[in-house]
Amino acid sequence: MSEQSSLSQPSNGQECVLSVRDLSVSFRAYGGIVRAVRGVSFDLHRGETLAIVGESGSGKSVSIKSVMGILPSNASVDGGEILYDGMDLTKVDEAKMHEIRGHRIGLIFQDPLSALNPIMRVGKQIMEVLEKRGIGRKEARERALSLMQDVGIPEAEKRIDQYPFQFSGGMRQRIVIAIALAGDPEILICDEPTTALDVTVQAKILELINQIKEKRHLSVLFITHDLGVVAQMADRIAVMYAGRIVETGTSEEIFFDPRHPYTWALLSSMPDLETYERLETIPGTPPNMIYPPKGDAFAARNRYALKIDFEREPPMFRITDTHMAATWLLHPKAPHMEMPVSLAHRIDRMKEAAKHV
Amino acid sequence: MFKYVLGRIGAMLLTLFLVMTLSFWVIRLMPMTIFENPEVSPEVQRRLEDRMHLHEPMIVQYYYFIEGIVTRGDFGTSVKIRPGLQVFDIIRERIPPTMLLNFFSLLISIPLGIISGTIAALKRNTWIDNVISFLIVIFISVPSFVFASLMQYVFAFMWPMFPTLYNAQAPSIWEAFHSMILPIVALSLNPIATIARYLRGELIETLSSEYMLLARTKGLTQQEATWRHAFRNSLVPIANTIIPLITGIMGGSLVIEKIFAVPGEGGLLVDSILGGDHFLTVALLIFYSLISLVTIFVVDVSYGIIDPRIRIGGGK
Amino acid sequence: MTVYDRNDLPEELLNLPDSEFEKAENDCSTDERFKTEPIGFYQDALRRLFHNRLSVISLCAILIIIVLSVAVPNMTGYGYTQQNVKQKNLPSKMPGLEQLGIFDGTRILTNIKKSSINDPKRYPEGCVLEILREYKAGRQEVVDVKVDYYRYCGVPEGEYHWMGTDYLGRDIMTRLFKGTRISLLIAALSVLTNLIIGIIYGSIAGYYGGRVDMFLTHLAEVLDGLPYIVVTILFMLWLGSGMLSIVLALTVTGWIGTARLTRAQFYRYKHREYVLAARTLGVPDRKLIFRHILPNTVGPLITRAMIAVPGAIFSESFLAYIGLGIKPPEPSIGILLSEGQKMLLQYPNQTFFPALLISIQMIAFNMLSNGLRDAMDPSRRGED
Repeated sequence: MSEQSSLSQPSNGQECVLSVRDLSVSFRAYGGIVRAVRGVSFDLHRGETLAIVGESGSGKSVSIKSVMGILPSNASVDGGEILYDGMDLTKVDEAKMHEIRGHRIGLIFQDPLSALNPIMRVGKQIMEVLEKRGIGRKEARERALSLMQDVGIPEAEKRIDQYPFQFSGGMRQRIVIAIALAGDPEILICDEPTTALDVTVQAKILELINQIKEKRHLSVLFITHDLGVVAQMADRIAVMYAGRIVETGTSEEIFFDPRHPYTWALLSSMPDLETYERLETIPGTPPNMIYPPKGDAFAARNRYALKIDFEREPPMFRITDTHMAATWLLHPKAPHMEMPVSLAHRIDRMKEAAKHV
Repeated sequence: MFKYVLGRIGAMLLTLFLVMTLSFWVIRLMPMTIFENPEVSPEVQRRLEDRMHLHEPMIVQYYYFIEGIVTRGDFGTSVKIRPGLQVFDIIRERIPPTMLLNFFSLLISIPLGIISGTIAALKRNTWIDNVISFLIVIFISVPSFVFASLMQYVFAFMWPMFPTLYNAQAPSIWEAFHSMILPIVALSLNPIATIARYLRGELIETLSSEYMLLARTKGLTQQEATWRHAFRNSLVPIANTIIPLITGIMGGSLVIEKIFAVPGEGGLLVDSILGGDHFLTVALLIFYSLISLVTIFVVDVSYGIIDPRIRIGGGK
Repeated sequence: MTVYDRNDLPEELLNLPDSEFEKAENDCSTDERFKTEPIGFYQDALRRLFHNRLSVISLCAILIIIVLSVAVPNMTGYGYTQQNVKQKNLPSKMPGLEQLGIFDGTRILTNIKKSSINDPKRYPEGCVLEILREYKAGRQEVVDVKVDYYRYCGVPEGEYHWMGTDYLGRDIMTRLFKGTRISLLIAALSVLTNLIIGIIYGSIAGYYGGRVDMFLTHLAEVLDGLPYIVVTILFMLWLGSGMLSIVLALTVTGWIGTARLTRAQFYRYKHREYVLAARTLGVPDRKLIFRHILPNTVGPLITRAMIAVPGAIFSESFLAYIGLGIKPPEPSIGILLSEGQKMLLQYPNQTFFPALLISIQMIAFNMLSNGLRDAMDPSRRGED
């Protein structure tokens, strides 16, 4: 008979440091209740980078904010659990949460300019984390200095007493990373860490994150809307749409063998140097999450939609041990649909390029 | 920074000179006689007129006027309010009651303004916030002289808890203070509301800022984060409303002092204008301008000190 | 969350009807049209303004006060300078409400010789309503009585002073609304002048920039350094009292804020691509300013002007209060209040009504401008 398996089981024997199951989060807004996250599950394994990819409003930021316990006051976790170190973070009290934030889980923000206190010396902002953990002022300063060196800030000695406005965008993001690392966390969550930066700086910051991850044996949860960034970073990818994960798999699986029409659309809309055809856009707009549509949320924008997509939400189908997608196209009765030709070409090129690396 | 401060002081002196000149000419050219005081004997009057060079042409008088101020700090002599007395001394004499009132008002309004503004921001959109915000609108809207009259009627007449007027010659400190309570409260309502309104707005903004979020992810408690990041940052723009209160401690309120018969600076200006005591008026206008200029200066410089973006960002 | 193996589906999923798996007619070739009508900025701002209950109440209060200030002085039947020494300091008496025992034109007189009550020359027939207390003061027999003050003063039956009369027997309501009319007019005029001067000054500074800007900005700074109260007093002394000089006095430093705002807006918009595009097409300066740059400034300017109105109303009454504004016998709320203050303890009605009106007026204007500011704030667009 049918074998039901849960996503939580380590897919290849790796240890799971953070496990989110069936998380639902909603916001009270002016127009009604916004169902931002509707039953999201994922696992973060030790030492890996898991990327969550999706458009703005897909619920990816909300998911990680609930992991950190920093949801705004008009949001509430309606169900599910966030398992970390034997605790369910949705139920942990505020006092315990303080210990976890900073110390166990670090967060890197999207916009380093607004994330730093404009009138506090950067050194102090780093030291704050250390002092909170009972480290003396003098030692905290030493550690802050070495952290700043670790994240690649030149002349840290001099820079430590400067203010955020005296730093460039990339350097500010390095400070934010230093702050996140100050608590010596085991999980690093990056919320679109490069979106606000110049392209040239982006690459350096991504490299830095990879470097730190190796050096400190971190597990990284990487949130982005940019598939290009994901390719450099992620071991595994989860694609989110309208508050749900629609496809998840290893990097190769998502890039080379995508199954969900939304993933197709995302990949098709990603610019690259070799694409000479007109870039595909995804028609329409994401659904209004105050009234989540019946059936598959993506159906209305989906060229490959089946009739059932408008009736019933597709379940998650297993493709390989690591690869899963929630689309009716994977149902045995579904007609065979090919991904767009231009995307197929592009994937061929990517595979080709991957071989040469 | 030093150069900037020097430049500002220069500009201040220039403005002050402008005030002296303008007030002198505007007031002296008014179609009013300087002397018309039957209580002053003609002989004294002549002596005074001589001393003040009133028989010289205007331009010469202007010269003596400026010269007196610059070289001797001599602002002239009162002719109507306190004939024969040095204007400077009259002003000095009036400072203590004004300062006392303003000092107590400051003592109330800064903490109360900060506390109520903070509570409103932290309890945003709750009934507490609504009540505070409503009171803020009332205290900012209703003119102080209306409040003063209302309080006088209610707390001094209907339920006589306080004396109607300020009592300068009170036999005991307690009685003197007792008679100061109503004017102090009347003086404080507006500043409380102004501080609270600004602080509420600023705090709401900083509380929802990203760096507050980052502070939380550092493992700070909500209170620690609010205190160290949101509250401190909000106080920077609040300096704009608090500093004038501090520097203005010597300048009296024109109406409150009149209503409660406080023998202070504010009442003096009104009396001198209505009484046509020209030298006194000119000196008081300069006095008030000085206070205002010092305020602007202190606000500017303190921003340079409090806000590193201005301090290090190269000033202006 | 459950994951299904494709080859091992539960019956329920496996047995879904085949027809369900046909491809749906789903034309995604074009973006869907916006379903709602596009809403302009001002339409949107207005809609949000009217959603705010406090703003609507304030607006109504303001409109009512304006209507009253126009209508009342002509309807009371009294002139605003019309004196009647026999009918001075009358209490308020309102038709209708008098039946309820409030505003009924009565007053309690204390410490009156008992014998005098029966003297019809001093106390006309029927004016003593009630003897409240009889007692002795020294050897005199005295009483406290409640009298119909209107009859006591010989006011003909059927004549009303809704808010009473002042120490010269002038009708307070007539004077109050006449004063309100003047103060609203002064506020409107001074705000308008400030706007015009500020916009022109700011536009010139902002548009031409460079040395012109530097000169104008410094000039404004010097003026701004002068304390408002000193400038206003000097102006009032120089020009004397009267509506025009008050308007001018309120203008001397009032325009600076507007000028600053306009200048800042110019700096923000003059380098935008669309302005540059218009300039390369040879659009003249004047047209660039009025057609392409200034419209962006309208929102903040309206808000600013609205916030300035209560300030101007306050300044006018404040000046009148300390005796430097409108001069008696012309009425102003400030004058009524300062005259009332002298009689506060005896005749509180003379203070009460002007105080109430100016308070309502100030609160309404402040609330409306708060609402307007929120409604105009582009960062709040789309919120309800």
